Amino acid sequence: MSKCFLGVDVGGTFTDVVLATTEGDVHTHKVVTTAGDPLAAVTRGVQELLAATGRHADEVTRLVHGTTLATNIVLERRGCRVALVTTEGFGDLLRLGREARVEDDRYDLFFSVPDPPVERRLTFEAPERVKFDGSVLRALTPDAARTVAARVAAESPDAVAVCLLHSYAQPAHEHLLGAALRDALPSSFVTVSSDVWPELREYDRAMTTTLCAYVGPVMAAYLHRFQAAVRALGVPCAVEVMDSSGGVMPASRAAVVPVATIESGGAAGVLAAALTGRWLHEDRVVSFDMGGTTAKTGVVRAGRPDVTYDFQVGGRGSFGSRRVGSGLPVKLPVVDLAEVGAGGGSIAWVDRGGAVRVGPRSAGSSPGPACYGWGGTDATVTDADLVLGYLAADRLGRPSTAPSAPDPDGIAPRFAPSPGGVDLQIDLAAKALEQSVAEPLGIDVATAAGLVHEVVNVNMAAAIRVVTVQRGIDPREFTFVGFGGAGPVHVARLAQMFGVRRVAVPWAAGVGSALGLLATDMIVERARTCVMDLTAVAARMIEDLFTTLERDACIALGVGEGGERLVERSADLRWAGQSHQLTVPLPRSTFDAAQLAALPGELARAYRAAYGVDGTGDAQFVTARVRVTRSVSKITVPPRGRPAAPSWPEPATVRDVWFADDGGFRPVPVHHWRALRPGDQLTGPALVEGPDTTIVVPPGFTASVDQWRTVVLETG
Amino acid sequence: MTAARDAITAEVLRAAFALAAEEAGIVVVRAAHSTFIQEGADACAAVLDTTGQLVAQSAATTLMHGASLRATLPALLADIPLELMEPGDVYVTNDPYRGGIHANDLLVFRPVFANDEPRWFAGTLVHVADVGGVAAAGLAALATDVFAEGLLLPPVSLVRRGEPVEEVWRILGRNSRSPERVLGDVRALVAGVNVMAARIEELVDRYGATAVRAEIDADIDYVATRMRDELRRLARGRYEGTFAIESDGVDPERTFEVRVAVEVGDGDVTVDFDGTSAQARGSINSSPSQTLSAVVYAVRCFVDPTIPMNEGCFRHVAVRVPRGCLVNPDPPAACGGRIVTMCAAIEAIIAALSEARPDRAVAASALIHVYALAGSGEGAPPWLTLGYEFGGVGARNGADGPDATGPYVLGGRSVITQVEPFEAALPVLVREYRLRADSGGAGTFRGGLGVETAIEVLSDATLTSRGDRIAMPPPGSRGGAQGEPGRSSVRRPDGREEVLDARAAGVVLRAGDRFVLRTSGGGGFGPPRQRDPASVLADVVEGRCTRAHAEEVYGVVLDEAGTAIDDDATRMLRETPS
Repeated sequence: MSKCFLGVDVGGTFTDVVLATTEGDVHTHKVVTTAGDPLAAVTRGVQELLAATGRHADEVTRLVHGTTLATNIVLERRGCRVALVTTEGFGDLLRLGREARVEDDRYDLFFSVPDPPVERRLTFEAPERVKFDGSVLRALTPDAARTVAARVAAESPDAVAVCLLHSYAQPAHEHLLGAALRDALPSSFVTVSSDVWPELREYDRAMTTTLCAYVGPVMAAYLHRFQAAVRALGVPCAVEVMDSSGGVMPASRAAVVPVATIESGGAAGVLAAALTGRWLHEDRVVSFDMGGTTAKTGVVRAGRPDVTYDFQVGGRGSFGSRRVGSGLPVKLPVVDLAEVGAGGGSIAWVDRGGAVRVGPRSAGSSPGPACYGWGGTDATVTDADLVLGYLAADRLGRPSTAPSAPDPDGIAPRFAPSPGGVDLQIDLAAKALEQSVAEPLGIDVATAAGLVHEVVNVNMAAAIRVVTVQRGIDPREFTFVGFGGAGPVHVARLAQMFGVRRVAVPWAAGVGSALGLLATDMIVERARTCVMDLTAVAARMIEDLFTTLERDACIALGVGEGGERLVERSADLRWAGQSHQLTVPLPRSTFDAAQLAALPGELARAYRAAYGVDGTGDAQFVTARVRVTRSVSKITVPPRGRPAAPSWPEPATVRDVWFADDGGFRPVPVHHWRALRPGDQLTGPALVEGPDTTIVVPPGFTASVDQWRTVVLETG
Repeated sequence: MTAARDAITAEVLRAAFALAAEEAGIVVVRAAHSTFIQEGADACAAVLDTTGQLVAQSAATTLMHGASLRATLPALLADIPLELMEPGDVYVTNDPYRGGIHANDLLVFRPVFANDEPRWFAGTLVHVADVGGVAAAGLAALATDVFAEGLLLPPVSLVRRGEPVEEVWRILGRNSRSPERVLGDVRALVAGVNVMAARIEELVDRYGATAVRAEIDADIDYVATRMRDELRRLARGRYEGTFAIESDGVDPERTFEVRVAVEVGDGDVTVDFDGTSAQARGSINSSPSQTLSAVVYAVRCFVDPTIPMNEGCFRHVAVRVPRGCLVNPDPPAACGGRIVTMCAAIEAIIAALSEARPDRAVAASALIHVYALAGSGEGAPPWLTLGYEFGGVGARNGADGPDATGPYVLGGRSVITQVEPFEAALPVLVREYRLRADSGGAGTFRGGLGVETAIEVLSDATLTSRGDRIAMPPPGSRGGAQGEPGRSSVRRPDGREEVLDARAAGVVLRAGDRFVLRTSGGGGFGPPRQRDPASVLADVVEGRCTRAHAEEVYGVVLDEAGTAIDDDATRMLRETPS
């Protein structure tokens, strides 16, 4: 029997489904997300795609799910009623946050602080105290643990989080409380911080644990129903869930550590970019995903997405999702993304000083950009792109009600996009731009459109800068991969702004994220803090720390003794007296005296690379990290057709298109992506129209089509 | 070149300059060795032109410091003329009487060349770990002149044509209690200006020096236009504001006052400090650059905090500062505690502007409480830490004040250190960290709460502690009550509690003693008895307010369980004249 994999990415607007066969065929389908019950859209999407491709549900051997459920629950504060137990004297720790006032709040006299997800009266203090080295200053007695549990139980919360000071060094008290709480509240979700993520910094750890509890019951129920729904369709396999760090985990683990899915969808997008890069033999890419309301960007190095341990849910501002104090911290590994409110639907306006601004307000799908003719009168980025000639004035691909049929084309293309469309009305776009931008500034409509296009590019460039330059990464050494409905329109211009020479747009760019779901292995990461001076520690102790973490990770992955897996180790080190630590990779072999002796040198090297100056002092070991990978069957798309000799195809049509460097319009050839063949070459300026998007090839770029139908743009 | 191209280039350059400064700010903060900078982002990075105009500045660090770099550049150019500068040079200074702040804030500049001419400066500044003076870490609370606050540097070379000037680095190191840290901080400052200079050079290569200059001018005009536009929304007239300062920490009998008259004209504003107290013997004097920072900060936040920060913010704002007073002291008055006067100036200006736009009225906030602990144990390894806590923010017309959060200029990236890393790095044990119930100034809208922290030292140590708005806590506005004053003390193991002065230095702590720090609450807005009883109930349930306080101050009575309002009793109580 032939086998296939399904990727299901539920986003705010669309649910994308990808079906990949072991023969290398990939079929996609997009349905509108059903907000009330997301499973309705999932069921429909899966059913329709299976039917259209003639596949049976029992052929599905893997089903990977990407979800924004956890993020939405936290951002919209609609989690369960959760209690927190912490160390005596620290009951206000979540409310105090870090006394943070950051970014724009600092200057806003009317700023407000969002409430934490736990009511104060559901925060309980336990009579105990542990020191940073794990020694017990005040022991928690079993009686005291039971008393606290009884007080918590009297409030009957849906979930309980436990986070005691320094529990990373000594988890016994947390475990005692956890057991007492489970006894007292047998039907509640109970979780303790030393199980979730035993790393130094109590506020971060407490919030991470609390968010697990806050999201936990909802997520567990949802995943349970998800599994039941696909099983009802006849899909036999256990559902897997994309986690935030670029790996996949069993749904059973996602139900225990639900907060690990906080950037599930974003991570899938970066993985899709990594996959596109792999086809190009390029392991360094910047992913650029521009949709209707936001643009997200992340970095892939050595074929793997960059990850942060400083993620803030709802984080914002000049340092991306890492800005401490700007959101709720999650200490788990999360793909390092920067997100800006810049998408096709972002609205352009003129500020009081006469500058054009774009976003963050978006016309969304209702009323949508003015050119949709759905009643919107605000000028959006899509309107500008239409006036500039980047988009065709007749139709724009949009989700269909019926899935695509397998590609009838005998040769290369195995990706099957969805048909359907909306008429884009250029007169409405021009009118909106005239009113909102051109008239107030006394300029013509084309200039206004050019300005909107460039301003949104500058906004998005700022996001790219956050994940590259501000992290000490030179983007010029990278390939940009553009996807999402609006990404391919803007990506080449962004590349120019950074001096990047190579840009790739994969076929199926419209459902890029869902493709990423099927492109990665099962991965579990674990960490534990153990602060030690390197001069005063035995290698044996560190080795024990790592082996324990590896064992935990293997259990979470379901890898038995001697089971096949890839283990990677790293350590956070710092100079004594510094509060920032740096992560250095370690060899896979047993941690011995030689490795120990090498650590200060590793830290010095990492410090110099990160900050450009030398650090000094005594090196300290702070946190041990392991990442265990269990290899699974993934999407494989073999190259199609034979590498053909270069050919220069005839364009389908010609239309006038505006480019910044010309400051005006010129006639530009327009090609249909579907008609292009491997080996086809284009010289910019040119446009390539695909089913869901248009690729803009600016002057100075050449483009070629490879055996995966990826359009690769290059410039000198 | 077409008009479209011009507008677009302007947009790209505007963003590029801001990002260059931002990137440098991040480099400085990340590489800095002192926790104070890392967590507090008490730092700044800015691009200036050779005439001293502020072109762009980092937004993630404290905005107030832009004026400091701007005010210091002329002093650098007076001592080291442009003609003598070469590519790769880096200079440092910290003189408060020549644009600087106080000894611990080092200001570093690197000229940026285009066509072999110095055209711009990349500037960074940071509160460094320690540069000597009578007390560690720049907390010379009792200093009475600028010489006691630390090593003073006129503009001198740190790097000449890319080569470090070793003598200067050695002087800096030799004058510090923690030489490695201070030199680490200086390295971070240099790395910051280097990054910024490289970014500007890239822009010049790409767009040409002439185009870059033109776009900078246009951007400054743009900001000035926005500022003028917002100033026109204030009712024209003359508005007065005053704010009291309880102590300079040196003259116990003396209190101070910052007095402003704000003249709102047609799209401009003049802030006159006539009537402000004469300069202090203690360190609360604010040099003119700092006073200007406070004025621009207050005006910008009040009218529209989203206006970008560049020279345009200064254009329509004038300041008059009489000589010899708190906001323009004669040398060698000490300046290390200038933040107290700056914050008083900000409160006075906001009070005055609140008259011009009552819908944006705000009550006064508590200030940062800074402390330093230095290990003093015989034979024990030396240790030193500078920490801080915030008090409550003042209530706003229409909203309660946030709890324990940095107000005003102190909101750099105001984020405090977490307890675990603090204990893992130093011989301390935090025994308690909580909000102070009932500390928020009562009002129709309540002031934010202060915080209480108890830090036990595990080895002998010396404590320096500096709090403000304690004897004279943040006043309320329009019938709102003042915030509950802060109070710090030392609690001995036998339970004895010794209350400390708001400004205390050289306090001897033995292992096992606890330093208990309590910050003030913010001022309330409007009469407390007009507060919505449901808000009072919510405060009681969330522990921000006790039942007794609810009855006594707000006239709100709860039922026995404390979970619902007793409407009848509340009505009766509120009708009784209090």
